Amino acid sequence: MLRVSVISPEAVLFEGDASSVVAPAFDGEVGILTGHAAMVTTLGTGTLRLGDGQSFKVEGGFLQVDENTVRVVTEKASKV
Amino acid sequence: MAKGRELLGRIKSTENTRKITRTLEMVATSKMKRAIDRVIAARPYASALSDVISRLYSPENAGAFPLLRQPEIEKRAAVILLTANRGLAGAFNSNLIKEARQLVARLDAAGTQVDLHVMGRKGIGYFKYIGRTMLVQRTDIGDKPTADDAASLVDGPMAAFAAGEVDAVYVVHSQFKSPVSSPAVTVRVLPVPPPAAGTAQKDYLLFPSAADILTTLLPAYVRNALYRALVETFAGFYSTQRTAMKNATDNAGEMITGLRRTYNRARQASITQEIAEIVGGAAALE
Repeated sequence: MLRVSVISPEAVLFEGDASSVVAPAFDGEVGILTGHAAMVTTLGTGTLRLGDGQSFKVEGGFLQVDENTVRVVTEKASKV
Repeated sequence: MAKGRELLGRIKSTENTRKITRTLEMVATSKMKRAIDRVIAARPYASALSDVISRLYSPENAGAFPLLRQPEIEKRAAVILLTANRGLAGAFNSNLIKEARQLVARLDAAGTQVDLHVMGRKGIGYFKYIGRTMLVQRTDIGDKPTADDAASLVDGPMAAFAAGEVDAVYVVHSQFKSPVSSPAVTVRVLPVPPPAAGTAQKDYLLFPSAADILTTLLPAYVRNALYRALVETFAGFYSTQRTAMKNATDNAGEMITGLRRTYNRARQASITQEIAEIVGGAAALE
């Protein structure tokens, strides 16, 4: 399981476990499963999807993966 | 009993005032709670952002970012003053204006040209009164500021800084420490202070590259600094207003007690006098 948090300037929109994360990176979608290497990438505009079917609209910011912890820090986010 | 009626009128009007201040106190209390929630909700984003920036930053690549440029002399500076649109909050707005006035005086003395960006009717009113030109005047930001509001305030000065037209950007705002303490502070948001580099430089895969990530994150960092200044200012405003209105309500209560006492004393005195007159009159007939 991945520990995922979705953070916007105004609030923490999600914090919890998910089996996978699919995020709109600056150059296309990026998928993250457990055991992913430590990574930081900037995000573009699009939909962030978690393994359990939740999704968020995100715009800008970055995604950080570190030891099965995924932090999505975005300038604009809203739940879909 | 002419005096008595006059006292009754004053009691009535003080009671009405107390009703208003008490209502405003309750309104401010509930708005304050919501404003504090916003301050707390803004913290994770700020810490995540500065964490990643300090991980990616190294002193060698500082020169590549316009926002990290550290000008030696400030030829021109932008001052963003955040005040409220409304008053009835004790010395809240005047403290902010005082802080801004001192900053502007210091910059003037150093020969720095100052661009004023003022938010809030109170701050605008003051600078209009002293006849100082303001570059930007904003009264449209309500008590629920958004990240977009923060961006609209700071993007102009930030672009000017990146272009080298402005050498520093200051924000004068209220720092929310606790519901009873929200002093006015001056924060220099640009140039971005060099982050403490070298906190366990882990091997991250970086896409597209450290430099590109920093280029997009630094503006977000500056915008966030302003967003936090905004939410703290509103939290400070409502907590100061609540305190001011609570004091006003308490004072009104004290005044009413005093007036009541005076009224009762006057009433008793007049009754005693009437009795004395009747008794005196009866005694004279005998």
